[in-house]
Amino acid sequence: MHKLMMGLARVMAMIGGAILTLLIILTCLSITGRLLNGFFHSDLMEGIAPGFSEWMIKIGVGPINGDFELVEAGVAFAIFAFLPLCQITAGHASVDILANSFSKHVNRFLRMVTEIAFALVLILIAVKLGDGMLSKIKNGETSFLLEFPVWWAYAASLVAAIVAAIVGIYMAVIRTLEFLTGRIRIWDGVEAE
Amino acid sequence: MTALEIGITSFPALMVLIFLRVPIGLAMFIVGLVGLVIVTDGTQVAFGRLKSETYSTFSSYSLTIVPMFLLMGHFATLGGMSNALFKAAEGFLGHRRGGVAMASIGACAGFGAICGSSLATAATMGRVALPELKQYGYAGGFSTATLAAGGTLGILIPPSVVLVIYAILTEQNIAKLFLAAFVPGLLAALGYVIAISIYVRLYPESAGTRPAVPWGERFAALFRVWPVLLVFGAVVGGIYGGLFTPTEGAAVGAFGTGLIAWLNGGLDRANLVDSFMVTARSTAMIFFIVLGAGFYNGFLALTQVPQELADFVVSQGWSPWMVLAMILCFYLLFGCLMDSLSMILLTIPIFFPVISAMEFGFLSLAQMQADAAMDVLNAGIPEGMGAEMLDSIRQSIASGVELTREQMKELGIRVTQGKLNRMESEFVAIWFGILVLIVVEVGLITPPVGMNLFIINAMDRKTRMVDTYKAVTFFVASDLVRVVILVLFPTITLFLLPGWL
Repeated sequence: MHKLMMGLARVMAMIGGAILTLLIILTCLSITGRLLNGFFHSDLMEGIAPGFSEWMIKIGVGPINGDFELVEAGVAFAIFAFLPLCQITAGHASVDILANSFSKHVNRFLRMVTEIAFALVLILIAVKLGDGMLSKIKNGETSFLLEFPVWWAYAASLVAAIVAAIVGIYMAVIRTLEFLTGRIRIWDGVEAE
Repeated sequence: MTALEIGITSFPALMVLIFLRVPIGLAMFIVGLVGLVIVTDGTQVAFGRLKSETYSTFSSYSLTIVPMFLLMGHFATLGGMSNALFKAAEGFLGHRRGGVAMASIGACAGFGAICGSSLATAATMGRVALPELKQYGYAGGFSTATLAAGGTLGILIPPSVVLVIYAILTEQNIAKLFLAAFVPGLLAALGYVIAISIYVRLYPESAGTRPAVPWGERFAALFRVWPVLLVFGAVVGGIYGGLFTPTEGAAVGAFGTGLIAWLNGGLDRANLVDSFMVTARSTAMIFFIVLGAGFYNGFLALTQVPQELADFVVSQGWSPWMVLAMILCFYLLFGCLMDSLSMILLTIPIFFPVISAMEFGFLSLAQMQADAAMDVLNAGIPEGMGAEMLDSIRQSIASGVELTREQMKELGIRVTQGKLNRMESEFVAIWFGILVLIVVEVGLITPPVGMNLFIINAMDRKTRMVDTYKAVTFFVASDLVRVVILVLFPTITLFLLPGWL
């Protein structure tokens, strides 16, 4: 089970990372296009090679249309896709200083309650994101430049949010088992005896 | 309970949760959600906000810079640049007393210019510099403390993730903040070098010596760091010069460092997967805190707590400098317990209105008017201006009196109190941001939860934590001195910005 969940989280993180990389390349291409376009429009180029400049502009050397929108939608998906890995590797920032002085038992209890609350919050986020998507379908909102339906972006994020909720539930179960049996399955650093 | 009371009560509630080791983002999210439900008397508003707020937070264009900078930082660690930087710095500094430690600081500063994270800088430079420090007979605790302190340069020298978050929270210009962080960042490196030279004079046995490197080799080593300069120049220069937005700058940086890593053979499949995993983990952590903080601060704003607090502080008639000192001390104390990003997200929405309400008197209206007037007059006396008028203007400028409306009209300038206030509030915001950045980073190298100390100490099993703690006090002292200097002389931070006199 753990292998499956970990695999799921890692695959999501990989997809998110790949999307992020694509967006980085897209952004760089768009900048290059924009700068070149400005260069071909410049007096210098119009002066020395007007035909070439005109040709380059005509074949579409310029910024990529709607690059901002793609970056926004893609990064939103990537971040949702990063959540499961953070969840399963206990990567969230917390303040350990006081908890270090509690007994093992108290710490396990606290961790169980925290992780259950976290799972509930992740479920809530996914459900509400689903509601948000439904209302975007209903009102037919599209993005400004590319005019793709906004709900597409919501839907992509929703898939990742659902995986995050599933991994969140799994972690809640794990922490509950840890509390009941006293055997630590996933270490996160404060269990030191 | 009134809304205000609920807002005030929420703070201790939040603190209790955080100290019970509830993840900070989750704690803020829950308190914000529950608070919103209580204040608005039902779940409708709170749940309604959730429908769009997670997506709009995660897709916010200005925040997309964060994962890109993180990925850039990880690519930078793979590119072998850390080694080149260290060799270059070592060539020039290594033979001095404490020189290898100074070289580590120099290399950290260089690495900080392409990496916006303290931990990544500390870890990367630690791998390169620790063995060398050992080899030349540097004491364990001194070496680890040096690298832990050097790591903070990763975030002090732009690009810096914390600064990006500050800019977004306070609606300031990221490019200007980066520019303002530059000199304080270099001062930090200089301060650490001074701390090292004092340390090795007090404890001469803690540092060995190293033969000097011929000048030819020094410049050859220096030349090999050109990719770092290129990437830094492209990112920060491009953002500042208006060639591209901060997010685009981050994309260029990530692409550049990725390319360097790939060309140097550091970016194979396993490393790429690893970079994605590390980036994924820190990105998710940061954005969950951003989400929680957004929710909590939205709730707080509804209860008017930040506004009331600002009004309260203003009505007390305290000196702005004292208020600033109190806030900075608060950060120093809290920084020992909490990570810098959480702290900034949690407290800036509360403290920033307070600082904005203070009058530091950076700018003088008469001076600004005089400068604008001189610009006009130097370019040639405007047509139709009478000798009498010219005389009276010259008189006002010479005696430092504010110009009258007629005088400004004749000159064709408009420098009003309103314009001055706008400029001043921007200067204060940027200066405060840099100060906060420094004091929260001190927390990374102070016990009990100084993350940089842990990371470096974990790399060197033979060194006891206590020895690291002892040596790091010199660097913390250097940090504190620098904060005092930057508070007393705002010019150091602000002189690069346009409009500063």
